[in-house]
Amino acid sequence: MKQLIKYFLIPALAVVYFTGCGPKMITKGEEFPGMYNEKPRSLMIMPPMNESTAADAKDYYATTIEMPLAFHGFYVFPYEITADVLKQQGIYDTELLYNMPLTKFYEYFGADAVLFTKIKKWDTSYMILASNLTVSVDAEIKSTRSSEVLWQYNGTVVVDLSGGSSGGGLAGLIAKAVVTAVSTAAADYTTYAKRANGRFIGSMPYGYYHPGYLKDQDVKIIDQTPADE
Amino acid sequence: MKKISIFTLGLFVVLMNGCAGQKPMYEYGNYSETYYQLKQNGDSETTGKWKVALEDSIKRSNEQGLRTPPGINANLGYLFLKVNDTDKAISFFNVEKTLYPESTVFMNKLIKKAELMKEGKTKS
Repeated sequence: MKQLIKYFLIPALAVVYFTGCGPKMITKGEEFPGMYNEKPRSLMIMPPMNESTAADAKDYYATTIEMPLAFHGFYVFPYEITADVLKQQGIYDTELLYNMPLTKFYEYFGADAVLFTKIKKWDTSYMILASNLTVSVDAEIKSTRSSEVLWQYNGTVVVDLSGGSSGGGLAGLIAKAVVTAVSTAAADYTTYAKRANGRFIGSMPYGYYHPGYLKDQDVKIIDQTPADE
Repeated sequence: MKKISIFTLGLFVVLMNGCAGQKPMYEYGNYSETYYQLKQNGDSETTGKWKVALEDSIKRSNEQGLRTPPGINANLGYLFLKVNDTDKAISFFNVEKTLYPESTVFMNKLIKKAELMKEGKTKS
């Protein structure tokens, strides 16, 4: 039952919710054969490239991306240390590394693959009744052996930041606006960032430490390949 | 009799759903919240809180018989390295390596760094 909900009902609902009409579906195995051929066990997270207007988006994102990747089954290198080492090597801009051969990361860190993320949008919109966090990210896993792209995701996630309901009437509305403001306070931000990350990672094949490792080739995901390719 | 069968059915449902209450894969505790605060402030107070969260994750994981999440032991070792407690740093890097062989290359680099620091300390 849990499997049914996990593999069928949730994706099905997500499809209905996000698109309304049926998108083209593809299996993980068809979409990301490189992940199943190379079987990367370890991932190194590169400092996010930030194109959004939110200067701290980089930090928000970097501190929340490790956990969902680990829960997805990968050995995730400790970002705090790897980022520090990169800085000591004078590498501040991930942009400069993006098109370079990645074999260095295999040699120095022993990383099988590297995760690049580009934050395109990170906006909070406040309204009386609700506030939303819109996160738009391009993410890619690249092999450190071949520098090939093994997995990629481009997408926008809108996370509803409103707190729970707090009664009707004007007083209720005001109370709710306050709750919303409080719940968007920085300290709680990570929760929502995590929620957004969780959705990005859904299409990624499971890693070695997950029970679903090498068993999810036939799981259907939304085909993100543009129609003209 | 009917009561018993309903009870049995109930018990059956509970047993069948046993797997729904499966153990989590990892126990991170307040890891990412405290990490975020560290990134925002970077002072000794937030560093201390992060250290507590790392130690707490190890403790909770051990209590529940779970593998400590990736990077927790390494991060703790790195905190010790930063305050020149090289012996503790090395022992945590070794734990990370044992739990996750994927980290071997990197942990060996950090252990070497710690050993060099230790040598430097004893010489001076």
